Amino acid sequence: MGLVRLVVFGFVGLSIVYALIWFYSRSVRREKLENSWDENPQEGADNAARDAYIKQGMEEYHSSLRPKLILLVYIIPMIFVIGLLIATNWN
Amino acid sequence: MRKLKTTLFTLIFVFVAGLLHYVLPQHDVARVTGSEIIRMDFSATNRLFFAQSDSGNVELTTRDVRLINAQRKRSFLLGFVRRDAEGVMVYRNEDTGWIWPPYFKFDSSDLQASASANMSAPGAEQWVVITHYGWRNRFLTIFPNAIAIRPVDGPDVRVIPWFSIVFFVFLIVAFFFVRAMWRQFRERSIDPLLEDAGDAYGRVGEHAAEHRGRIGRWLDSWRGPKQR
Repeated sequence: MGLVRLVVFGFVGLSIVYALIWFYSRSVRREKLENSWDENPQEGADNAARDAYIKQGMEEYHSSLRPKLILLVYIIPMIFVIGLLIATNWN
Repeated sequence: MRKLKTTLFTLIFVFVAGLLHYVLPQHDVARVTGSEIIRMDFSATNRLFFAQSDSGNVELTTRDVRLINAQRKRSFLLGFVRRDAEGVMVYRNEDTGWIWPPYFKFDSSDLQASASANMSAPGAEQWVVITHYGWRNRFLTIFPNAIAIRPVDGPDVRVIPWFSIVFFVFLIVAFFFVRAMWRQFRERSIDPLLEDAGDAYGRVGEHAAEHRGRIGRWLDSWRGPKQR
């Protein structure tokens, strides 16, 4: 019963952390793209070109490895708990 | 207001520091002098400071609690500075189970056997390091919970609290990470909204100033010329 509670509450808590980091990481990437365009804009390009550049950059980001690494938020605590379980109960 | 804020922050700090002091593992250099099992009838005050019955058992209002009697080296500063003096200490030995505090301890019986195996008499001391969390309080009848017993060669052993080191490093990293997240959120999501609101507020302000100008001038016309 305790294990069920741990899994349920752990999953809910880690999902909140996962969502926060997901939004944060996306926001940081978008800001980077905006800055890199603004520092060095293409000659004669308008706002639509800027939007397209950022959109393409975000698509590349979403298909890259980086956002998948956020799944470590679930995996690391799981490994930690199993490690602690073994360390505490090992004789 | 400032006083209230200081008081509030002090209270939060004391509470968090107390919680960490209660929950984080500490190490005592001690020798086990005996073990016993007593029946405990918990009250509302000390129930909070005990875990639950062994993880395979059912939870009742009253149960037996394993205790480990020990003679330990006294220390200063959270155990970092050891003294020559000795004092008695009694540890309880309970499963923490799956939830709180997250030690995932299920081997209370084995630990009790380990305590018996390392029991020693004066003159032929077997020193051990007892890892534990919790507080001893005579008035509440609460005991620290022993987590592990490790035999050592002598009382001058140096214990490095790896878990606490990693924990506090993690806490500091997490603090800066959360701060970075908050700043990003403020810069990208709240500030633009506030700027919009600021613009609107500015427009309202100008409009009001215009009106104030007209009405104010009319009001002023009723006052004497030197009052303004």
